[in-house]
Amino acid sequence: MKNTNENLIELRGVGLTYRTRSGMFRHRYIEALSDITFSVHKGETLGIIGRNGCGKSTLLKILSGIYQPDKGEIRRNCSKISLLSLSIGFDPELTGSQNLVLAGVLLGSSRQEAILHHDEIVRFAELEDFIDQPLKAYSSGMRARLGFSVGLKMHADLLLIDEVLAVGDVAFRHKAIVAMKNRITSDQTVIFVSHSMQNVKELCHRVIWLEDGIVRACGNPQEVIEQYADHLKLVHGVGNLAKRKAVLYA
Amino acid sequence: MYSLSSRHFREVFITKLVFNLKSEASKTYLGYLWWLVEPVLYVAALYLVFGRFLQIRTGDFILFLVCGQIPFMWFSKSISSSSSSIVKGKGLISQVAIPKAFFPLLTVSQDLVKQLVVFIAMLGFVLAMGEGITIHWLGLAPIIMVQFGLIVAVALFVSSIVPVFPDFKFLIGTGLTILMFGSGIFYSYEAVLLPEHRAIFLMNPMANLIKNYRDVLMYGQFPDWSALLAIAMFSIVLTVVMLLIFRRYDSSYARLVIQ
Repeated sequence: MKNTNENLIELRGVGLTYRTRSGMFRHRYIEALSDITFSVHKGETLGIIGRNGCGKSTLLKILSGIYQPDKGEIRRNCSKISLLSLSIGFDPELTGSQNLVLAGVLLGSSRQEAILHHDEIVRFAELEDFIDQPLKAYSSGMRARLGFSVGLKMHADLLLIDEVLAVGDVAFRHKAIVAMKNRITSDQTVIFVSHSMQNVKELCHRVIWLEDGIVRACGNPQEVIEQYADHLKLVHGVGNLAKRKAVLYA
Repeated sequence: MYSLSSRHFREVFITKLVFNLKSEASKTYLGYLWWLVEPVLYVAALYLVFGRFLQIRTGDFILFLVCGQIPFMWFSKSISSSSSSIVKGKGLISQVAIPKAFFPLLTVSQDLVKQLVVFIAMLGFVLAMGEGITIHWLGLAPIIMVQFGLIVAVALFVSSIVPVFPDFKFLIGTGLTILMFGSGIFYSYEAVLLPEHRAIFLMNPMANLIKNYRDVLMYGQFPDWSALLAIAMFSIVLTVVMLLIFRRYDSSYARLVIQ
């Protein structure tokens, strides 16, 4: 697609409603996203925050092309969008090496590319001694490290990250965050979903706050996070709502 | 629609194909040997029941059984395993924008690889039973190709229904059993059926294909080309229709499976 602007992806009025079966032929409708409009610029890191069930995962599924929205439109100016997950396509019977190649291919590389990066990924994941063991012999932390390391090394025009920085022990987590930061500060475009306000503040250029299927606020990380935090106090606080509101916005 | 490029699709497909075969084999002690052991067990069981207990003793009954049971098992196993392939692909579907036809196609391709090994063993058996190689064996390749086409079409069809109506899975099992009895695996339709019913019997594509396998391997004849052509045409039309449906409803399948 030839587009003059620098937006990698644009959403306009995107909405999605789930239909669940509640009886033999009866259905219930749940509106996960009602009206989402935003765009992602090339090279930026956009954070998405919001409470559980606010539609973050659904939004990521729409961005990565897994779901088509029911309404609105999406325009993509890139070819490779990867949803980074810690266990993409893993098969417990296969060895670490084989799973590494599989995950690499699923994230959009060719087998040759994946094999080319094999040693580098294994070293980063600190799994040199286990890489020829079947994955079922791995601890969950080891699996997560392997998944994260593959995702980190594979090329993508747009990288979607859903809460995956909490990998492994403290030392590895630190290394993961540093590596992710390096990748983010290079030219990588990232959409970053997290509950860790600390990480969002550190990593993101812009933040979107999602609530009840709409964009409640969008802009400077500091400001949006503050608004969100205020809102949380409001919702989860105890006592008279009006009074608390008065205190908060005084 | 945003989805995998066709090059990427091929890459994922081949990688998954090889790894799935390896993974499946590593789950059992006998591993790849099961590809051969299983059909042998089935044929042995049928021979015991029909050849010994029920005393059906046409001259080369065991060969007759092999030529019917082996192709039928291929069909039956491919269809039943592909029927829930999309539902089982949930893990991938929730992580990658992947065309849903990927899953039934992958399943039938895995079964094709195994079946080719079985066919080679089967030809060895046919030779060991004293049949010679004839020019008519050339007809075997088209029969196998047509059967594969039929399997692809039916696999796409059943796998498209199960995510929408999970209850359909039970009907597939029953349907395959009925089909087994209706395909003339352990009886000769010419010996059992009235002449006016034979044409109807041969409208069952599996019955027809099995008859063709026997014509080529046992009776020194070329296959019935017009029947093969008809089955191929049916398969192609059904495959195209199913691929279009999968394309049109790709996102709906993703939602059905993930929720």
